[in-house]
Amino acid sequence: MYGRKVKLRFFFILLIFVTLSLTIFLILKSLEENVVFFQSPSEIKGLPELNKKKIRVGGMVKNKSISVQAEELNFIITDFKNEIIVTYSGVVPNLFAEGKGVVAEGYLKDKNFFLATKILAKHDENYMPPEVKAAIEGK
Amino acid sequence: MASLIGSYSLFFSLGFSVLILFFSFKNLKNTINFDNKLLSLTFLQLLFIILSFFGLIIAFINSDFSNSTVFNHSHTTKPLFYKISGTWGNHEGSLLLWLLVLTLFIFLFLISSKKQPKKYRVLTLLFQQIIIIGFLIFLIQTSNPFAQIYPVPSEGLGLNPILQDPALAIHPPILYLGYVGSSIIFSSVLAASSTNYISKEWAKHIKQWILISWIFLTLGILLGSIWAYYELGWGGFWFWDPVENVSLMPWLALTTLFHCVLVLEKKLLLTSWVVILSIATFTLSMSGTFLVRSGILNSVHTFANDPERGLYILIFLFTLIFLSLFVFFFFHKTDGQNNTSFFWLSKETSILINNWFMMYFLAVVLIGTIYPIFLDVLTSQKISVGPPFYHKLIIPFLIPFLLAMAIGPKLNWIKSNLQNKSHLLLLFAISLILSFLIIRILEISFLVNTILFTSAFYLFFITLRDFFIKGFKNLAQNIAHFGFSLLILSILFNNFLSSEVITNLKVGETYKSDELTINFEKIEKIKKQNFEAIIGKFNVKSDNELVDILKPELRIYNQPNIVTSEADIKTNLLSDKFMTMNLVQNQEYFNIRYQIKPFMIWIWFSVIIISFGGLFSFFKKKYEN
Amino acid sequence: MGCSAFSKKNMKTKILLPFTIVSFLFIFFILYVGLNRSNIYIPETVTNEKIPTFKVKVFNSEKELTSKEIFENDIYYLLNIWASWCIPCRDEHPYLMELKKNKKLEIVGLNYKDKVKNANNFLNELNNPYTLILSDTDGTIAIEWGAYGVPETFLIYNGKIIKKIIGPMNNNLFKEIERAVK
Repeated sequence: MYGRKVKLRFFFILLIFVTLSLTIFLILKSLEENVVFFQSPSEIKGLPELNKKKIRVGGMVKNKSISVQAEELNFIITDFKNEIIVTYSGVVPNLFAEGKGVVAEGYLKDKNFFLATKILAKHDENYMPPEVKAAIEGK
Repeated sequence: MASLIGSYSLFFSLGFSVLILFFSFKNLKNTINFDNKLLSLTFLQLLFIILSFFGLIIAFINSDFSNSTVFNHSHTTKPLFYKISGTWGNHEGSLLLWLLVLTLFIFLFLISSKKQPKKYRVLTLLFQQIIIIGFLIFLIQTSNPFAQIYPVPSEGLGLNPILQDPALAIHPPILYLGYVGSSIIFSSVLAASSTNYISKEWAKHIKQWILISWIFLTLGILLGSIWAYYELGWGGFWFWDPVENVSLMPWLALTTLFHCVLVLEKKLLLTSWVVILSIATFTLSMSGTFLVRSGILNSVHTFANDPERGLYILIFLFTLIFLSLFVFFFFHKTDGQNNTSFFWLSKETSILINNWFMMYFLAVVLIGTIYPIFLDVLTSQKISVGPPFYHKLIIPFLIPFLLAMAIGPKLNWIKSNLQNKSHLLLLFAISLILSFLIIRILEISFLVNTILFTSAFYLFFITLRDFFIKGFKNLAQNIAHFGFSLLILSILFNNFLSSEVITNLKVGETYKSDELTINFEKIEKIKKQNFEAIIGKFNVKSDNELVDILKPELRIYNQPNIVTSEADIKTNLLSDKFMTMNLVQNQEYFNIRYQIKPFMIWIWFSVIIISFGGLFSFFKKKYEN
Repeated sequence: MGCSAFSKKNMKTKILLPFTIVSFLFIFFILYVGLNRSNIYIPETVTNEKIPTFKVKVFNSEKELTSKEIFENDIYYLLNIWASWCIPCRDEHPYLMELKKNKKLEIVGLNYKDKVKNANNFLNELNNPYTLILSDTDGTIAIEWGAYGVPETFLIYNGKIIKKIIGPMNNNLFKEIERAVK
């Protein structure tokens, strides 16, 4: 009853199914390893232990906190409840300024020091990333 | 006045939509021939949309600030060119442009499809009108470009200076021609499914529309990428930003669709798959609009976000999705298709394999783009998905993809064998040795890189050889594939040979390293029409004692008051020297980034070659005759 | 053959269709919720919304006013949501003091979730830019206005919100307001 055609079709569907699940598995696994979580200074303060993974910290650049040396740049990110000191050497976006929202990507040295590898630029003068807003609001 | 005419024109167009719907239904039932009234009505609708669009342009040129779109995005001191390009540099205006392309394409479709069956043409018009009506209502209801402000402001708010750029002035129109062009494919496939007209003739006819869309989309993405390179000053060409991703997704779907349509045209296979892809292409374009305009995504581009707009597009998008699902499941017939099974070693199989890879790439990009939304909604965790994710998942699979691209076109339809194909092996050996040498010289030691170089070179040599051996046969395909191999090679070289220096310097200071010294000689201040510029002068000396003078700029725009960096780029055939400078608030230090980016121009150039392949294919019919 | 075609069709509609519909509905749901979440974020827009109608207590007194009594026609109003505990409010305070000099503009303060004592200290320390202060102790009025936080400022004319500023005012926004009022 089952001709060659039916078998072939069955085989074909099986093949699609297997590759599909493999693909999804691969993507999800890779996602797990490669996503960057976003945290506010207060959330970092509340961490039970330090995470070695890359994270993003968002908040406002504290007023009068930016200081520049030849090699690096220091500033403080605040969410008006807690603060974190950021050390960074790299490109600074145009919209980076005191009193403005900022997102820094990098690694935690401890709960008070953050080593940034990237400061994110947003090309809208009114832009405040939703995460920053949420961080400041303490959501 | 211009605003008023523009505003009324929109309502007239909506009226024509209703008329077209009415006469289409009448035409479907009654007569055998295509009702030419429909053609005239479509033309009139197009005319009114054009009128409306020009109304907006004139409002922009005259700086008519009683119009809220003009008030929000223009300023009297802006150069005329950017006043005009400001028309589509904002949400409302760009939607009007979108509408213009929608109506333009259906009109062109109607006049170029006279040989097609009547029912199919009328239905395509009908489906396209559904999209047009959706957008018209969207425009009038939530984002009217002609909204009035009272009291009339004396001055506008200005256009974001980052958008004041020649590349970005033409980027949206070209990208939209690609995005919106896919609407015709969508309408046409729904019409063809419901009239059971998915056939070789249909494939031949729709192929041209796929090509048009594809060419514009390719060029649109290219322009966006070039703009990001020199204007955003990030010194790269692709950042996996959600906005870039949403333009890449329809491109992947469209490219896949094009290849499947070729199979359909030759062998009448894969009909259902073609239908799905055609629907997916436009749906992905629409989703892109939704994701970008609704503010649901966090990206470098932000149009003024408005939840009402987002909700409208979302509902409209899913209405279209469910409409197409309905047509697909209840009207599309698969039993009529030619069920010839095919041999594993054939052109179809290789296209199917590449199809699989394309779909895989699409899935990666799609999931990477929307996963943060899902996670936020489901678990309230905020995350971002960065380039490593995409690189890790895409790069290894480029290898089989490139190989299939190289060998696939060599195979015959249905069944082929590999006799007399010794050159395939020879070229592979050459590529392997060449890559091995390159890897040694560059001192990078990854197995994956060697194979990646090999497969890219392999495609490069095979396509190159075909130019000489086959001449005009398969030229279009060969050009496009050649361009792709060149693109991958340029990206690889660019990636491995790039170097950069980031430092903070005061005026007069010098940065020294083993390879180069950067001397910050002076700064100059210049006043222009709508900005003040601080121009730095840098002398960059590399080990070969040649001194390059680079003059990156900081621009302080007056309206709106924004600081932007203008990179100074010295381009030659082999590499780009790229410098940006930035002033950190209230500090004497300037933040300097100097990059050497080899083969940058080849990346742009190879994308142009790829789209040229498409262009060639589009005109192929003519020279073959 | 006809039979197999029939069963194929059957399978297609019976299994695949509900599956597809359910997955698309799921995606729709997620995007819908996601959309509403990001709603709170509206950077800075020129709206033409009508102001909400509400009843409110006047700060430091027991008097109650309605929105109609507060916002008269043909006068520009700046509604500023502030609180003594809000740090960015201090930053924008000088701008408000500067705007106070503008005779065509009346600045109305909405004191948000604040203690009366602290708020009075804040005003004594930094001076009072407001012609009228309303009290929003539980934050309900701010919700009526669609505000998401402090500070937030609305420019109102003829009962309509012409401009909405989220976050502290800066020099540009200050100039924009001056221009709009002119």
